[in-house]
Amino acid sequence: MTQVFYYVFTLIFFLFDYFILAMGLNIQYGETGILNFAYIGFVAIGAYVTGAVSLPNSVGTGQHYILGLNMPFPFNLLIGGLTASAFAVLVALISLRRLRTDYLAMVLISLSLVLYDICNNFVPLFNGADGLYNVPAPLAGVLHLTTNSFIPVIALVTGVIAMFLWWVMSRITQSPLGRTFRAIRDDETVAAALGKNVFRKQLTSMLIGSFYAGIGGGLIIQFGGSFNPSAWLPGETFVVFAVIIVGGVGNNVGLLMGSLLVETLLVHLPAFLPAIPGHPGLIEYIDAMLIGVLLMVMLWFRPQGVVPERVRKSTVIDKLLLNSNGASAVGESLHDEEATSVSQ
Amino acid sequence: MQLFWLSFGFGLVTASVLAVSAVGLSLQFGITNYINFAYGDFMALGAYITFVFNNEVLHWNIWLAIVLAAIVVGLFAVVIQRVILSPFARRFDKTFYVLIVTFGLSLILLNVIYSIWGATVRFYSVPINRALHIGPMLLTAYQLIVMAIAVVLMLGVHVLLKTTRLGKSMRAMSDNTTLAMTSGIDTKRITTITWFLSGMLAGLAGAVLGLTEGNLTPASGELFLFVIFAAVIVGGVGSIYGAMAGAVLIGLATEVSAAFINPAYKLDVAFVILILTLLFRPSGLFARSGKG
Amino acid sequence: MSVNDVTTNEVANAALSCEGIVKSFQGVVAVNGASFSVPEGQITALIGPNGAGKTTVVNILSGSMKSDGGTEHIGSTDVSNWESYQIARMGLMRTFQLSRELGGLTVLENLLVAPKTQSGESLFNIFFRPGKTKREEHANTQRALDVLQTYGLYALRDNRARELSGGQKKLLEISRAVMAEPKILLLDEPMAGVNPALIEKIGGYILDLKAKGVTILMVEHNLNVVEKICDHVIVLAEGRTLATGRLSELRENKEVVRAYLGEVIDASSAR
Repeated sequence: MTQVFYYVFTLIFFLFDYFILAMGLNIQYGETGILNFAYIGFVAIGAYVTGAVSLPNSVGTGQHYILGLNMPFPFNLLIGGLTASAFAVLVALISLRRLRTDYLAMVLISLSLVLYDICNNFVPLFNGADGLYNVPAPLAGVLHLTTNSFIPVIALVTGVIAMFLWWVMSRITQSPLGRTFRAIRDDETVAAALGKNVFRKQLTSMLIGSFYAGIGGGLIIQFGGSFNPSAWLPGETFVVFAVIIVGGVGNNVGLLMGSLLVETLLVHLPAFLPAIPGHPGLIEYIDAMLIGVLLMVMLWFRPQGVVPERVRKSTVIDKLLLNSNGASAVGESLHDEEATSVSQ
Repeated sequence: MQLFWLSFGFGLVTASVLAVSAVGLSLQFGITNYINFAYGDFMALGAYITFVFNNEVLHWNIWLAIVLAAIVVGLFAVVIQRVILSPFARRFDKTFYVLIVTFGLSLILLNVIYSIWGATVRFYSVPINRALHIGPMLLTAYQLIVMAIAVVLMLGVHVLLKTTRLGKSMRAMSDNTTLAMTSGIDTKRITTITWFLSGMLAGLAGAVLGLTEGNLTPASGELFLFVIFAAVIVGGVGSIYGAMAGAVLIGLATEVSAAFINPAYKLDVAFVILILTLLFRPSGLFARSGKG
Repeated sequence: MSVNDVTTNEVANAALSCEGIVKSFQGVVAVNGASFSVPEGQITALIGPNGAGKTTVVNILSGSMKSDGGTEHIGSTDVSNWESYQIARMGLMRTFQLSRELGGLTVLENLLVAPKTQSGESLFNIFFRPGKTKREEHANTQRALDVLQTYGLYALRDNRARELSGGQKKLLEISRAVMAEPKILLLDEPMAGVNPALIEKIGGYILDLKAKGVTILMVEHNLNVVEKICDHVIVLAEGRTLATGRLSELRENKEVVRAYLGEVIDASSAR
């Protein structure tokens, strides 16, 4: 019974966490058209920094890491997200200028590998190949949580954070900024000819998306209490791509669906299957292949994903304009409705 | 100084492997105009197929095994290009779809290799080789042969591109596919031949990488891929000769730097050079004004 | 300004001018010293044989492409090799020869992207000044719908732009540029590939814009159109300015006729 209980809440945690990660990559790739093949690197930065700021000073812990500030939840998470953002801006400043999509993808995947190499080899940073462990569980002290009650609480907390971030993301994607992002995605040259500073907007998009990456990563280390290089091989970026492409690029509901289908059902559910005797790891290998195949099949047969991007109808645009004075723009009787519902 | 020359020798070896693989990648890119992110896994496949011929049942001579593996990977590349990549490239006009597909392909191939050969480190069955003094450098016979192979292949590519009809068609296609097509070049045939050649180069490079490094792991190709990227970008994407020059520069820089810094970071030196190139000469150090 | 003083005086007020624009691609010279002025408030045609470098000039003037040399002025401001978005913010808008609609956006959204300064494009404003953002958005939506009404695209406002027909895309290009309230409008073959009825219509729109004080430079092949609506003509050949003046004057110019007019008449009848 307890076993099943763990399964379920672990799955719920990953559902929400990858929803957050998917929203972050979606604003970059799905909305702005930046092919960020280094995405998992930003997730890792979020995780490491969140872990390192919440751990005590490294002296005497048997681990080597920077920071060590005993910082409580949720500030540790926030620092993790902001660090990922700051790093993203730095990366974007160097690489986004005048680089074609494919060059950019090459540079970013290389960056992801180098970051991996450094974290793996440079022990004083985040304890090298062993990674960080014994990271304090969030809220455990405050709520007097035991190992048993911790899992549902963190799953719930992650759910709440995901919902809040969903609301924030909806505000952004529905705003003129979101529209400009999509204009850049569809045609950079046109966006620039319309007076949009494409580079700066791409920078903004990288900043927002990487914040989500950092938060998602921070939650991973908070959930498991540990994080090491084996958790973020460059191929992991592909899983997040699979989530958003299967679910539906440019649609937040789709991203939640994608997270459910890919991350929960395909990545984590098989992890509970018993290993095939004599073939350690075979299930994971087959699983990874399936993800690759699923993604190609989806791209071919349903490139818009399970839940396609919505057409933003003029009535919807108008409805969102709260303080509209006078008659409605499209001649339908619309009142000042507060668009409070969390929607796409 | 002794150390410098030693590492310079290793640099030449790395440069050789790098040149072969970077030219292969550039050929693919030039003709089909998208970067193949599964290229590192093509290399790993070459390394493991060589391993099969060389070790387990057959015990064939390593060089024979490498040649056969290269041919197998060449054919494999053609099939992948025809069956998967080309349909995607034709269907979607935005490059990033096909890039994601190659990225997915890379994930599939890597895990196929893991499934078949497992995660354990493998070794080729070759006699232990005594190092020879070549001037101030210290190299094994295998390393010397690898260097010789690289030089021969690069000359071969040069002759192919400059003197043969096929090479001229390839260059024409690389400059402008539509124009090449309208001027009567059979672009489909050229694409197939190019992918076969580049697949062969990938397979061969993967195998000699395993040979020069002394072992093989499934992810070795992917790790090497970003060094190839560095060589290709530093040389100027799409330029074959740029790729050769970039390979020599990156190969020497990574190995020589390993003499002075922790060798664990030697590959990161490639990335630093890559970033510097992007900052100061984004079209590459040796680029003609061409693609991009 | 010393070299060009004569020409600038000749054409009372140049809204846009360029001097010695040079551009080559992989060693092939596309533009080779093109120099001309576009008089304010008038419609100027940029004509020339295929390969004369017309589109390249438009690309350079609008900042979509960097030139290898030469200067460009908007009014009296030197904007040589400015970024595309900076030039756009100076009030110069352009359309593209092959329509480049923002395919994933609706027709209405295509227009809503265009206004230059939108407070809702700042992350800070979205969350901390939502009222201002919404008022602006409302005003922009009203105006966009008006523009769509004018250009006959109102019924299509909620369609994705990629679903439009070729002619509709041409209209969308123009209306999107108009939405940005340009001072100068560069139209790259606004009538290429559209039916005669629509040519008539687009011609009317261009005249309306002129009446509102917009300076227009248009690349155009159809000499009938040029004759009807353009005040001034610039002939480009082999990347150089061959002649400028009224079309009637240019018809007398033997060099122009030899280099260009004969060919274009052939070309347009062949189409």
